[in-house]
Amino acid sequence: MKKTGILYDERFLLHKTGEGHPEIPERLTVIMGAIEESGLISKMVSIPVTAAKMRWIEKVHSPKYIHRFEEACMLDLGELGDPDNHICPMTYDTALLAVGGILNAIDMLMEGKIDNAFCAVRPPGHHAEMMDAYGFCFFNNVAIAARYLQLQWNVARIMIIDFDVHHGNGTQHIFEQDPEVFYYSIHEHPSFAYPGTGREFEKGSGPGLGMTLNSTVLPGQGDEEYKTKITQDLIPAFEQFKPDVVLVSAGFDAHAADDMSDILLSTEGFSWMMEQICRMTDLYAAGRLISVLEGGYCLDVLPELLKNHVEILLGLKKLHTETEKESPCLLINR
Amino acid sequence: MFIDKSMTKDVIAVSPQMSILEARDIMVQKGIRHLPVVSEGDILVGILTDRDLRAAMPSVILSEAEKADGVKRLAGITVQDIMTADPVTVSPAQTLEDALLLMERHKVGAFPVVDLDGRLRGIISVRDLMRAFVTVLGLRTPGVLIGIVVDDKLGQMKKIVDAISELGVSFGSVLVARVWEEGKRAVFPYLLTNNVARVKKHLLEKGFTLLDPMEWCLDQVPKK
Ligand SMILES: [Zn+2]
Repeated sequence: MKKTGILYDERFLLHKTGEGHPEIPERLTVIMGAIEESGLISKMVSIPVTAAKMRWIEKVHSPKYIHRFEEACMLDLGELGDPDNHICPMTYDTALLAVGGILNAIDMLMEGKIDNAFCAVRPPGHHAEMMDAYGFCFFNNVAIAARYLQLQWNVARIMIIDFDVHHGNGTQHIFEQDPEVFYYSIHEHPSFAYPGTGREFEKGSGPGLGMTLNSTVLPGQGDEEYKTKITQDLIPAFEQFKPDVVLVSAGFDAHAADDMSDILLSTEGFSWMMEQICRMTDLYAAGRLISVLEGGYCLDVLPELLKNHVEILLGLKKLHTETEKESPCLLINR
Repeated sequence: MFIDKSMTKDVIAVSPQMSILEARDIMVQKGIRHLPVVSEGDILVGILTDRDLRAAMPSVILSEAEKADGVKRLAGITVQDIMTADPVTVSPAQTLEDALLLMERHKVGAFPVVDLDGRLRGIISVRDLMRAFVTVLGLRTPGVLIGIVVDDKLGQMKKIVDAISELGVSFGSVLVARVWEEGKRAVFPYLLTNNVARVKKHLLEKGFTLLDPMEWCLDQVPKK
């Protein structure tokens, strides 16, 4: 069994979005309820939560934007930028705690105190751009984590795998030109889903050309298409890039029961995908992986999805072995 | 939407007396396919396209000796010998819609833009139009497209806009496919929200019919 960290704090519930908004505190309470009831929590290492230092937030976001965010919360303006991004007076502090906790998880990972971790945080991050909040996201948690790995821990090769059903526009744009951070995302085709970016021809630019990879899935598709794309796109990219650390933007809104998208991924489909990610991380990155919650809004399926997710991190679920018949490389060379 | 707001203003033009080899080099170096040809005082006299050039160049099926001979002769040919004289032009005061329809009609990729005195003021190409329409569709702003089918009668658009505005969601753009099926139109609002589930639910409650994304289409022939 692996030493898996768990990041959670009741203060993550203090960011309130109000009626009619899908990104609600209950997402976390049902997730943590499932991890506790199943007894998994006692097998996990608790990660301390502290507010992130401004210097790390500023590695991704402009000081002007950070200030605008803080001020909007202080003045209780109700929203930041798009009306999508509901805020309350506690949103800014909550966002700082989420980032701070994730950076603590990275310290413990790099110090060898844990093998991997799941971060049950709110607000999510992958739509947040350097200078703007988008799609319920304020600070780009995973992007700041990647910068922290680079600058604080001198990690040379970082892979971000984003399986939220929406493309992580913020994360992609932040690392578009960075040859040391590989961004992979699998999501609903941008002509049919928010935010409208993440087309398959977006591959990074300048020195980062080839370090961005997008797999798009058409409305109505599910497990089979995910298996094909993960096998044809992610696995060869992983083998080629050979990351030192893997960050996962873990969104669960591709589930068939989640009405935020037209994608029909099953509970087993999610497990299969996470098993592949963990298997590749074990092979190439000594298992070093931090998974950070992004979207996923169906309260009925989140408990089971996250219980499975954590079991896979702990190594309690039997991992699927190498694709039975042919290696993925053979598949793409055909 | 006037052409002078979207056209390329610092346009490269050549003189009618320039050798076509020199003109070819300019096209290759600058990566452009249309060279307006101007006489003194920037008066437009023609346009040289990559197609005109290709037609004048020695064919690849010629032998090396024939080609060398051909190139030698080309050196003596000037732009005015092969350019399209009296090309279709537009004025800065015409609109983007004019340019779009003229491009469709004349099957060309660019028009020189000339003022009333015949002076070259710029060039408007498919590229300029595409840039304008990518922007106007809202494709550079995070958002999501949804498809709604409504009866082809007055007041439907207002109902859609009202229903969506009630939720405090703003519009990036709205596309309408006028010809959907008998008596129906398809409306495609591009919405600046990630909360599409709430919008869809609200529209269904209001009695709207949402379209299966795999059926979306902008210009299909009417279904009988
Ligand atoms: Zn999402």
